Amino acid sequence: MEVSVIGSSQAAICKSELVNKELRFCFPRRNSTNVSFFDSRTRWRRNSGLHFTLNAIQTEPVLSDDLSTRGCASRSKSLDDVRLYVGLPLDAVSDCNSINHARAISVGLKALKLLGVEGVEMAVWWGIAEKEAMGKYEWEGYLNLAKMVQSAGLKLHVSFCFHANEQPKIPLPEWVSRIGESEPGIFFADRSGHHLRECLSLAVDDLPVLNGKTAVQVYQEFCKSFKSSFSHLMGSTITGITMGLGPNGELRYPSYRGVVKSGKIHGVGEFQCYDKNMLNLLKQHAEAMGNPLWGLGGPHDAPSYNQLPNFNSFFKDHGGSWESPYGYFFLSWYSSQLLSHGNRLLSLASTEFGDTTVTIYGKVPLMHHWYKTRTHPSELTAGFYNTENRDGYGAVAEMFARNSCKMILPGMDLSDKHQPQGSLSSPELLLAQIRTACRKYGVDVSGQNSLVSKSPHHFEQMKKNVSGENVVDLFTYQRMGAEFFSPEHFPAFTEFVRSFNQPEKHADDLPEEEEEVAESLQTSTESSIQMQAS
Amino acid sequence: MSTVTIEPLLRYLRRERPLCRCRTKILKPSSLNFSPKLLSNGANTSFCNFKPRRPHIIRASSTDTALLETFKSTDGFFKETFPLTLTQMVEGKIFIRLDKDQNQQCWQLSVGCSLPGKWILHWGVSYVDDVGSEWDQPPKSMRPPGSVCIKDYAMETPLKKSSDGEIFHEVKINLDPKSSIAAINFVLKDEETGAWYQHRGRDFKMPLVDYLRNDGKVAGAKRGFNLWSGFFLPKMLFKAKELPSNDQGSSSESKGATQENRQVEGFYEEHPIAKQVVIQNSATVSVTKCPKTAKNLLYLETDLPGKVVVHWGVCRDDAKNWEIPAGPYPPETTVFKNKALRTPLQPKDGGNGCSGLFTLDQEFVGFLFVLKLNEDTWLKCKKNDFHIPLSSSGSLPAQPGQGQSEGALVSEKTVEANQEVSQTASSKGIINDIRNLVNGISSRRRTKKKEAQESILHEIEKLAAEAYSIFRNSIPTFVSESEPQETPKICSGTGTGFEILLQGFNWESHKSGRWYMELKEKAVEISSLGFNVIWLPPPTESVSPEGYMPKDLYNLNSRYGSIDELKHLVKSLHEVGLKVLGDAVLNHRCAHFQNQNGVWNIFGGRLNWDERAIVADDPHFQGRGNKSSGDNFHAAPNIDHSQDFVRKDLKEWLCWLRDEIGYDGWRLDFARGFWGGYVKDYIDATEPYFAVGEYWDSLSYTCGEMDHNQDAHRQRIIDWINATNGTAGAFDVTTKGILHSALERCEYWRLSDKKGKPPGVVGWWPSRAVTFIENHDTGSTQGHWRFPSGKEMQGYAYILTHPGTPAVFYDHIFSHYQSEIASLISIRNRNKVHCRSTVKITKAERDVYAAIIDEKVAMKMGPGHYEPPRESQSWSVAIEAKDYKVWEAS
Repeated sequence: MEVSVIGSSQAAICKSELVNKELRFCFPRRNSTNVSFFDSRTRWRRNSGLHFTLNAIQTEPVLSDDLSTRGCASRSKSLDDVRLYVGLPLDAVSDCNSINHARAISVGLKALKLLGVEGVEMAVWWGIAEKEAMGKYEWEGYLNLAKMVQSAGLKLHVSFCFHANEQPKIPLPEWVSRIGESEPGIFFADRSGHHLRECLSLAVDDLPVLNGKTAVQVYQEFCKSFKSSFSHLMGSTITGITMGLGPNGELRYPSYRGVVKSGKIHGVGEFQCYDKNMLNLLKQHAEAMGNPLWGLGGPHDAPSYNQLPNFNSFFKDHGGSWESPYGYFFLSWYSSQLLSHGNRLLSLASTEFGDTTVTIYGKVPLMHHWYKTRTHPSELTAGFYNTENRDGYGAVAEMFARNSCKMILPGMDLSDKHQPQGSLSSPELLLAQIRTACRKYGVDVSGQNSLVSKSPHHFEQMKKNVSGENVVDLFTYQRMGAEFFSPEHFPAFTEFVRSFNQPEKHADDLPEEEEEVAESLQTSTESSIQMQAS
Repeated sequence: MSTVTIEPLLRYLRRERPLCRCRTKILKPSSLNFSPKLLSNGANTSFCNFKPRRPHIIRASSTDTALLETFKSTDGFFKETFPLTLTQMVEGKIFIRLDKDQNQQCWQLSVGCSLPGKWILHWGVSYVDDVGSEWDQPPKSMRPPGSVCIKDYAMETPLKKSSDGEIFHEVKINLDPKSSIAAINFVLKDEETGAWYQHRGRDFKMPLVDYLRNDGKVAGAKRGFNLWSGFFLPKMLFKAKELPSNDQGSSSESKGATQENRQVEGFYEEHPIAKQVVIQNSATVSVTKCPKTAKNLLYLETDLPGKVVVHWGVCRDDAKNWEIPAGPYPPETTVFKNKALRTPLQPKDGGNGCSGLFTLDQEFVGFLFVLKLNEDTWLKCKKNDFHIPLSSSGSLPAQPGQGQSEGALVSEKTVEANQEVSQTASSKGIINDIRNLVNGISSRRRTKKKEAQESILHEIEKLAAEAYSIFRNSIPTFVSESEPQETPKICSGTGTGFEILLQGFNWESHKSGRWYMELKEKAVEISSLGFNVIWLPPPTESVSPEGYMPKDLYNLNSRYGSIDELKHLVKSLHEVGLKVLGDAVLNHRCAHFQNQNGVWNIFGGRLNWDERAIVADDPHFQGRGNKSSGDNFHAAPNIDHSQDFVRKDLKEWLCWLRDEIGYDGWRLDFARGFWGGYVKDYIDATEPYFAVGEYWDSLSYTCGEMDHNQDAHRQRIIDWINATNGTAGAFDVTTKGILHSALERCEYWRLSDKKGKPPGVVGWWPSRAVTFIENHDTGSTQGHWRFPSGKEMQGYAYILTHPGTPAVFYDHIFSHYQSEIASLISIRNRNKVHCRSTVKITKAERDVYAAIIDEKVAMKMGPGHYEPPRESQSWSVAIEAKDYKVWEAS
């Protein structure tokens, strides 16, 4: 072979590009000496011979691009159609707009590329990109990072983060925090009046509280600026954008404080309707409903953050005030506010990026604690009016469908049997419920895991959640970092990716495939020669 | 002897200047690049390879225009010359000769090199009674003219072109036979490339006297001899001779036969050396139309020596798909795998180089080729095929598919310079595996395929391991499964933000023996000048009087004064409102005792560590710890901070210093020597009010001129700060370096980076940047990297008005500059300029730099004219002096 003679790094990259394609199809199965191959893919691969050639010459992965954008529409996907992404470190771009751990990321990207991962997810923080002053955007760090991703031949999924992060510490924009100091009402508040400075209250979506602009306007300009700065990557390298919808980017109220330790039983959380503007909205709503007294505050008999459902009378499974007319009044208002907030932001995003081929995503949390109770208090405080006798997710799915957005569901690694004893939690049932709603409204689901875990059951659960009937269009593994690449974790992840990319059929079941394997291999060999010659 | 190979080895020495970083030297034996825009940085060009391919865009770049004109003027056809850059390994020799000078009086050591380059001999001596393998500075009489002192242990002497040879460089060192010099140690450095040439990874050692005695206690020396005796013996001529001055010679009982009281008589040796040299050639392609046949005639000529094969094809459209045209072909053409043609070029008559003529049908729009020199050496056009347009319609000059935007890329892409290099390096590693894979696939043999896949998996594992180690050494970014960490309260990196530091000593301060007392008398004055932090010299017992070679950490009686005097001093400083930084030398520590091999690596005092506390990768000290997590400081055992007991002891010690002496914070010496994560550990344990690390390495230079873009340099400092989790600031060496160039050469444009921000660390992470213009190493009586003389006040005008935490050097504040510096400090304090102040650069031109800080202070420096804009606010002059001026908003 002539392949080796040009010792340029470029050559290496094009080749790894090529190799990836191969790897996707040719990983040897465990316990099998045969190369397994997959029929649904073979046709595709044959067609792709030409693409390979182009690819090799141009060093731009045109092929997978087309696939990813085209592939979305089809419903009959199998395991290896799942596009696998890996999240970049949250603080990949530092607050001075340089790239943190650039070398590690670059090496990591290479490993992922060789592994056959399709792309990476990059969190774009409001507090970094628009840090200093309203409308003063600093995209350089993100542009550089995107360029690294592009150079590595990977796709990019961008997540807008309009919230702050605890660990690593990424605050809201300085100018927003300054406004918040004099006007704390722009943040959510709990019953004790404590303001949570993690994200803006959804009540200011349409209030001109940010130097005369509404939050939605500010988000919109952020999107616009992003789009113009990244226009050269839109639809090619950047394939998807997740719109930040609330705390942790998720569509919910910040009903829990801080990070709750896993393995511990969660409390129910608190309603977050006590900031000035939320109370205003509630008051108006109550007056309009003819019950002005209900508009003075949230439920007085709800437990606080870490208390259990039965602590007070609101969430009591039987005879709790959640079932009273007041309960209905409050919960429907509370959840509808969240829904319209989600609608505002998702429609903003789909309008803003409507003229690109980029797909818009929104993230819906998996508030699985207390799912097995009648009241589902964790979901209620988070803003999902989902109880034993009311489906709260149909409306959410419908809202996603209306805006042609796809839904990201985290926690695909969580299984019921590993929940703490007595927590009445059920991630699996909740996930199934949301997926049913999505199917009903034709909303594609994307998966995420909740944490980097070394325990095998997480990977098993994820596999289960993305295979068979459980169609996902994209799976984003969270996330790259020391632990991700640690010897305790990375081999398990490698296994996981390989199982992703190979079908669960035994090669012996596909005798007629042999020729085709050889043929397609031949094709790619030729293309590599051509690359040389060209 | 001459079979010994010499490998250029990367070697970091401490604190010398210029400190050459040779990271970009990781090159393959033969690499080839062609770029139309001559000599772009390899790392950068590799970036444009990944640019998305764009359809041809006609750009109004000057090259294009010029070419289009040529094209018109030469009757519709194309001619262009492409520079060809070929990196070649050239081999030469290092000569080492020891002989007597003309008068037969003095011995002379000559070191020469037959390769072109800017050669520097980096050398030192060992004395007869030396133990260990530290170097010493040679006596003045030995130093050839042009020598530069490197700290107190080495010299740098440039090799001069000797008159007789064309490229032969040589340096001669005179030896004094009466001195007790046992050996001369040296390495050769090429300043052009920054590469160090050693002998098998060690210093060259030229023993001058057979000083070896067998009393068993100088086993360190014995070791040195054993190492080298085998190496030198065959060509060394010894002569038994009485040497009165060498009284050690009398007790002789050496091993071997008659090695008694010998002295070196003469010595000559050669070592092969290899160096990469860039060779420039060019290729010219011209296309004309044959009027008779309407075919295109393409003429290709090049001055490349030797046999050149053109590997070529044609294309019909812009997709540049290779195709083989119909014959006839030029003579000796062969078809290569039905994909391309190969035509050897014919040597030109009587000249260098060769040429070829190709006749091509009209129907083809492009001629594609690469040049093949031998099986492993190909020349491409920026890693793409050369493409020569053949038709006039829509033809563009030969451009690689994605070459257009290189200029832009070069300017954008420097932040990741490090990473790019490593990328290049490791992608070369991958290439083999990929080749295997492709081979495996093509062979259709499953076993092979499997192997290939395994090798890819192996590669993935390697990459993952690398990523893991880098990530692990930076701030943890992953979500911790068990214990969510509290965000650390960061303040030690910045103090209050309003600090102004004074370095409270210089290189001579130890001389009086009562520095603490002297400084105490100045406490009030220092405070009244506006300082609020003072950095005191290292307080421990030390092998060197300045304190940077600590021995017993708990013994605080030093040449600066006693522990009680130190306590009194700190108390007095506190009384006048000054915070006190202790100079903590944590990287290395001098031993008290020798181990059984005679190596000095056993510590005494309260921290009686042994070899396990010493890093394992410095052979001089036979450490048994782990490998160093940073660069090594070669003059003393480097402490292995990865050992829990070491860290525990050091934390205890630092806490003791805080409690016992009352230090408020730390200045961390030689922070390059160990991982910043350990620094975080120490900072967390001692909770200082302020901490600053000395992370000093070389800026980037191209051909002896400092690069405008020093992003890679400041990134390294920022990486270190990051590794400390921001718990410590760092001296802004970048800013100092850039100020040097800007002031010395009147290039004030250097003071703005491409984003219009300050170009040093202070532009990226102002709150962690401790700006300074001089310290005890760079200036004082050492002068390793002295600030341009007479320009100091401009330097202070810059750092005292800008964000970051400024540090003033003792020698400057107690000099005739005092009143000017004091004025600048008071301007800073009056306007509450702090480490995070905003800076807007309003002018950065050849002869003037101007900036407005926090919209409250305006400053300019340089001879050029500048007045702050007076539309929005009015300015009053606060200080005006030679070449700088500061205004305050009024």
